[in-house]
Amino acid sequence: MNAPAIRITGLKKNFGASEIIRGVDLDIHRGERHAIIGPNGAGKSTLFHLISARLPVSSGVIELKGENVIGLKPFEINRKGLSRSFQITNIFHNLSVFENLRCAVLWSLGYRYSFWHRLAGLADARLRAEAVMEDIGLADRRDTPAGILSYAEQRALEIGITIASGADVILLDEPTAGMSRSETDDAVALIRRVTEGKTLVMVEHDMGVVFGLADRISVLVYGQIIATDAPAAIRCNAAVQEAYLGTSLHSGNEHE
Amino acid sequence: MTGSHIPEAVFRRGRILLWGGCLAFAVALPLVFKTGFLLSLLCQMGVMVVFALSYNMLLGQTGLLSFGHAVYYGMGAFISMHTLNLLGKDGGPLLVALLPLVGGLAGLVAGVVLGYVTTKKAGTTFAMISLGIGELVAACALMFPGFFGGEGGISGNRVVGKGNLLGFTWGPQVEMYGLIVAWAFLATVAMFALTQTPLGRMANAVRDNPERAEFVGYDTQRVRYLMLILSGFFAGVAGGLTALNYEIVTSETLNAHTSGVVLLMTFVGGIGFFYGPIIGAILVTVMQIVIGGMTQAWLLYFGSFFLFMVLMAPGGIASVISMQRNLWQAGLFGRMVPHYLAVAVPVLVLMAGLIGLIEMSYALLAGEGVGAGDTATRVMKMDLHLNTPGPWLTAVAVTAVGLALTRWIGGRTRAAWNSTLSTLHGDRS
Repeated sequence: MNAPAIRITGLKKNFGASEIIRGVDLDIHRGERHAIIGPNGAGKSTLFHLISARLPVSSGVIELKGENVIGLKPFEINRKGLSRSFQITNIFHNLSVFENLRCAVLWSLGYRYSFWHRLAGLADARLRAEAVMEDIGLADRRDTPAGILSYAEQRALEIGITIASGADVILLDEPTAGMSRSETDDAVALIRRVTEGKTLVMVEHDMGVVFGLADRISVLVYGQIIATDAPAAIRCNAAVQEAYLGTSLHSGNEHE
Repeated sequence: MTGSHIPEAVFRRGRILLWGGCLAFAVALPLVFKTGFLLSLLCQMGVMVVFALSYNMLLGQTGLLSFGHAVYYGMGAFISMHTLNLLGKDGGPLLVALLPLVGGLAGLVAGVVLGYVTTKKAGTTFAMISLGIGELVAACALMFPGFFGGEGGISGNRVVGKGNLLGFTWGPQVEMYGLIVAWAFLATVAMFALTQTPLGRMANAVRDNPERAEFVGYDTQRVRYLMLILSGFFAGVAGGLTALNYEIVTSETLNAHTSGVVLLMTFVGGIGFFYGPIIGAILVTVMQIVIGGMTQAWLLYFGSFFLFMVLMAPGGIASVISMQRNLWQAGLFGRMVPHYLAVAVPVLVLMAGLIGLIEMSYALLAGEGVGAGDTATRVMKMDLHLNTPGPWLTAVAVTAVGLALTRWIGGRTRAAWNSTLSTLHGDRS
């Protein structure tokens, strides 16, 4: 009964003749914070796209909490409790911060395609959206259109939309990309706070973030996972050091 | 709602006042506009307001550009007309008053059937399929004269049966106007209410970012499909009203021209605001009927006006109004008024010159008074000799002066506008 949050077996993906994911096997335990690292072009984002069904898989099996989810559409996977963020900010630009978050909670509260409920009367949706808005520190931007927020604010909103539905498996694709040091620290604190008690999988380039947050780390190189282990063990892993960039791992040391 | 939302309650009271005011205004209009011409103009406006609002449910709210919206309008009109004729003597004013609902249901059914195909995809694909379906249905209209009445269309009589409903038989045009106002008001309230529901909001989300909408649990295809069905319903209501209003329905009601007109109306009014299409529908109907009655060149004027709007105010008239309101609230509106007045003068001169040229050209091309020596032609209520250079040189001169002045004063207005805008945004941040 205690199936892993995500179990990936023999996963492959090719675009035409080029193979991007070349047989990935990976278990993500429930409640762990799992980081996926690897050099550029290793297929990290593609792996996320496959798990969240943004792209169809070529072969292999992905199980979400013990259930095979191959062939499901993105919204069906989302309804099963998996939510993801995007590397390139992906929000509802013309809607206000509050409306963005309210849109993100409507389905999970069971309002579906209702055209007989008044939004203003849905206290549960409002409270949940306001709570998330508070969490991500955008309460004072409530009525600002998302499109004119600053970059860091948009990234925070991106995370907010991802967690608002209350999904218990969260995928974050480079949540701190393009942020300054202080913004990154804020983002890490935010991620830590909002993913408490949930399963978190993230792709991240910033080794400070990775080693600071993750319980376990998987290293993806040319479409294959060469190691999955605790941060300390990953740092000492010879194969990782050889395949991946030792320098980056050292920079992780400096931040600790 | 909790007590902490007093501003919202005040806001809502203001909204009720606004809606009530609009309704009272619409009801009172026939007291001033009594002639048959003006009454039928008002009736046409009411129908078009509903049609344009239903179109904006797709374009403005869901981001779907349809080239075939007249199909739902036309189906509503035809089914209403057939129902009216079926009722015959058995009908009565009450049943006639409810016919737009039949039209709505016809539009809804058409939406269920056709929308299933069109809303599979969004964007350009949707636009193309909607165009194809529109042509398909328009072709059917000529292939099945039994149902669509061929080129003559089908006609009926909205006064059926005996008796009346609260004194109304719907015979006189002013009673028809009352019926249109009632339906238009109900439909407008319903369409506005829809924007305040989960489906209405998710339609906005799908418009802004369909991919993200999928990743918050929504099937974007389903959202588009439902919005199209509901939009078809309201287009059908408008169709039912037009059937009753004119007592004749031709294949014109569901062809590409009608689809094009509703697109232009909605766009000119402003797709980003709920009330935008209302303004567009009223304005374009006035242009169509009033200017259309004055000059043969009205399509040219209308086309130029549309081009002007797309280039200068792509957000439509509603966005211009909203901009002025922002200035007003910031206390900056007074600063712009002299500039607006200043630029209006040369623009009017320029328009006078251009209209003169266009009207004279139309008169010349129509062959009136050409080659007849001294014969004068009546153009714009003036007797002009079009075969002499005098009128032409005058018009060219007026145009040239207008153009030069517009460029000069327009440049200064633009500068004032930009500085006012920067003050406005500076105040905000």
